Amino acid sequence: MAQRPQKKLFTRRKSCRFCGEKDLVINYKDVKTLRSFVSERGKIIPRRIVGTCATHQRQLCEAIKQARQIAFLPYAGSSQG
Amino acid sequence: MRRYETIFILRPNAGEDEIHRVVESTSKIILDEKGTIIELDKWGMKKLAYLIKKESLGYYVYCDYAGTPAAVTEIERKFRIDDSVLKYMTIKTAASITEEGIQEALAVIAAKANALLESEETEESDSADAEKPKTTEETE
Repeated sequence: MAQRPQKKLFTRRKSCRFCGEKDLVINYKDVKTLRSFVSERGKIIPRRIVGTCATHQRQLCEAIKQARQIAFLPYAGSSQG
Repeated sequence: MRRYETIFILRPNAGEDEIHRVVESTSKIILDEKGTIIELDKWGMKKLAYLIKKESLGYYVYCDYAGTPAAVTEIERKFRIDDSVLKYMTIKTAASITEEGIQEALAVIAAKANALLESEETEESDSADAEKPKTTEETE
């Protein structure tokens, strides 16, 4: 049996930003940080792509949802929709 | 006593008096319920991420306080009645806060304000740049 070609070639090891930078706290008021964890459409980027750890992803998710409630972040579409 | 923070958005066309009135009535409710206001900050006009009641701008007011659940329900009831309040959100930041805790929180905020003042004095031009609202769009 011929072996399948290896698909994974260049995958950089993803790491949790919040574990790396200890002074970076997750807060719904910190829109600048939260921005980097939502897509252009305003969706929360999954953990398997951004690489945050489970604990922080959970907190992040909460923070993004709170930020959406008070119109810091959009529910859908770009921020200036 | 619990520690809460409330953010509310006022209509952009609300005048100074209107803003003053809403802020006063909120702080009065907190004080009447024997609470303490830790921080009250008018963030001013900001762009909303989506339209609320057909408005794209809003005047944000942030309030951090120690109070009772009764105070929160009363504040929210008033907000619901008030036409100039577009939206509000209350978040419980601590389930219980003691007298010392309040003093500590006040000290932290005072220290922060002092640090801000000092940095402004030393590098006025830099802080002015930082104050500007960010309009970055890139996410990835």
